[in-house]
Amino acid sequence: MAENENVIEVKDVTKSFKVYLDKGSQLKERLLFRKRSRYEERKVLRGISFSVKKGEAIGLIGHNGCGKSTTLKLLTRIMYPDSGSIKMQGRVSSLIELGAGFHPDMSGRENIYTNAAIFGLNKKEIDSRIQSIIDFSELKDFIDNPVRTYSSGMYMRLAFSVAINVDADILLIDEILAVGDANFQSKCFNKLREIKSQGTTIVIVSHSLGQIEQICDRSIWIHEGLIKAEGPPKEIDLEYLDYMSRKIQDRNKKSEEADGTEEPAENKDGKRWGSGEARIKRIRSFASDGTEQSVFRVGEDIRLVVDYTVKKPVQDAVIGFGIFDMNGVQCYGTNTRIDKLPELTLTKDGTAEVIMKNVQLLSGEYMIDIAIEQGEGIPVDYYRQAYKIQMLSAYGDAGIARVDHTWNLQR
Amino acid sequence: MSTIKELYAYRQMIFSLVKKDLRGRYKGSVLGFLWTFINPLFQLIVYTIVFSKILPNNIPRYYLYLFVALIPWIFFSSSITVGAASIVGQKDLVKKIYFPRMVIPISYVTSCFVNMLLCFIVIFAVIIVTGAGINFLAVLTLPVIMIVEYVFALGMALLTSAITVYFRDLEHILGIVSMAWMYLTPVVYSKSIVPPRYLPIFNLNPMTHIIDCYRTVLYDRQIPDLTTLLWAAGLGVLFLLIGAVVFNKLQKHFAEEL
Repeated sequence: MAENENVIEVKDVTKSFKVYLDKGSQLKERLLFRKRSRYEERKVLRGISFSVKKGEAIGLIGHNGCGKSTTLKLLTRIMYPDSGSIKMQGRVSSLIELGAGFHPDMSGRENIYTNAAIFGLNKKEIDSRIQSIIDFSELKDFIDNPVRTYSSGMYMRLAFSVAINVDADILLIDEILAVGDANFQSKCFNKLREIKSQGTTIVIVSHSLGQIEQICDRSIWIHEGLIKAEGPPKEIDLEYLDYMSRKIQDRNKKSEEADGTEEPAENKDGKRWGSGEARIKRIRSFASDGTEQSVFRVGEDIRLVVDYTVKKPVQDAVIGFGIFDMNGVQCYGTNTRIDKLPELTLTKDGTAEVIMKNVQLLSGEYMIDIAIEQGEGIPVDYYRQAYKIQMLSAYGDAGIARVDHTWNLQR
Repeated sequence: MSTIKELYAYRQMIFSLVKKDLRGRYKGSVLGFLWTFINPLFQLIVYTIVFSKILPNNIPRYYLYLFVALIPWIFFSSSITVGAASIVGQKDLVKKIYFPRMVIPISYVTSCFVNMLLCFIVIFAVIIVTGAGINFLAVLTLPVIMIVEYVFALGMALLTSAITVYFRDLEHILGIVSMAWMYLTPVVYSKSIVPPRYLPIFNLNPMTHIIDCYRTVLYDRQIPDLTTLLWAAGLGVLFLLIGAVVFNKLQKHFAEEL
């Protein structure tokens, strides 16, 4: 097989599902309620074409329901396209349903045979692989025990080991590496890299853009049944994230408009307290280019703008903010006193602004508390969970905030 | 043609499904694998009592006359009834992973077939113990008859298993159909008592010829009539082709319908 040959060719594929409004599959229902088995055609794929070369790894990305999993199912031939064609060359293995056909009463070893047979291996081929499968699964001492005695982690390890040792020419993966502990996951990851370097073509569907960036040479962004963009993962993933953040903002805006008020809620469920001489009126956030948004990418600048009204002048005022993750863990907090700003007196309505440069909070939602205090911490208007921002990242690192780092590997 | 090639590539899966089915079927029951024999034996006893004591007939060694027909019949009827539910029963596999879908009905029919072969051990034991005698030359044609029946049963199972996915009632309808079919096939009685005007219907039924062949070999101890065998083979292949074509057409939407 030539190095540059396409092993997967997808041409103008469309697929729609019948969504039955009220499905009757029994004779009685079919006869009596003929009109009831009406259905709606839902077009999931509206004509997508792409090709994958031998040894290439591609990632399919897109939001839920965009058609990426359907595409994968068409590639595995679980389903067939309504129109268009799909050509694949070589043996296909899929890490979509791990442990298909496992029988709980049979031993691990017997199940390896059953499971590998489902991938189309014959006995001789399985015999030659069985040792590496057992080794990879780390289940040496348990391999002759019935599978029902396995923990779920052991079960998945065995299943993954079989699927990945099939030596497929094309490997299809849906949401990988939720398998076993961190150790085994990194082992799987390395194995994927290894088989990729051996010339296996890989197609991954994942929500974890980080995983895709680490393995794939190309991302294909599917949007509402069409390919919206395709190219190097770094670029496409960012484009996708940008799009998603805009979408989330639109949604947020809409729900805000639906609420009717921009005025923060009054002391609802103990979220707000204080003497009330000055009040927080409105909170907004902006990106560095001045567009109002509440969804940011890790590493972006965030400008937080707080409008307040003053009923009675507040002497010796302190304005502060705190950032909490969704578990309530404080990620950061400070105020004008800690930051040693000159003494502040609020006499009339105004605006306070804080610019956070290069925010390294990792992807997720964060709640921001805003407070106006007087003197040594007498609350004037303490507003808990006053504002929500969301961070997005295409990178797979974990934790609360990114720690700037470089690697230095000496061999 | 490519279907056959692919099925050959998946032969190990057929093997292991058959093995799993045979081993798993009686798992946990006290008598275990013995049920394979007990079930047909009790049917045989019931039919023998009914048709030789209550509705007497003049067929000598009626139990053997019945036995050599009943075992092949049980293979056929379980192939179509159990086979019909086979795809629906394996929907977890079908919905989630690719393999040639025909593997499932094939392995079900094959496991029923293996069951029949095991029961034939009992048939031969009965023949020997009762001293009924064997025509060895005739017995050599037995594998051919079995293959013909297998082909026909597989064709029917392909048909019923695929249609059941779209139309679940079929599974239950087949229970009735298989009972009616048994009485429309000379299993418990002889073809010779069928009124001549109904004979054309019986002749269209491939099972009539197949059962006839079994009986000729094992009961009458003769080599079966070649035309009867050819008829049966022709009808069997025809049904297999129809079954395969229908199955291939319907299987494309299995994953969505299940």
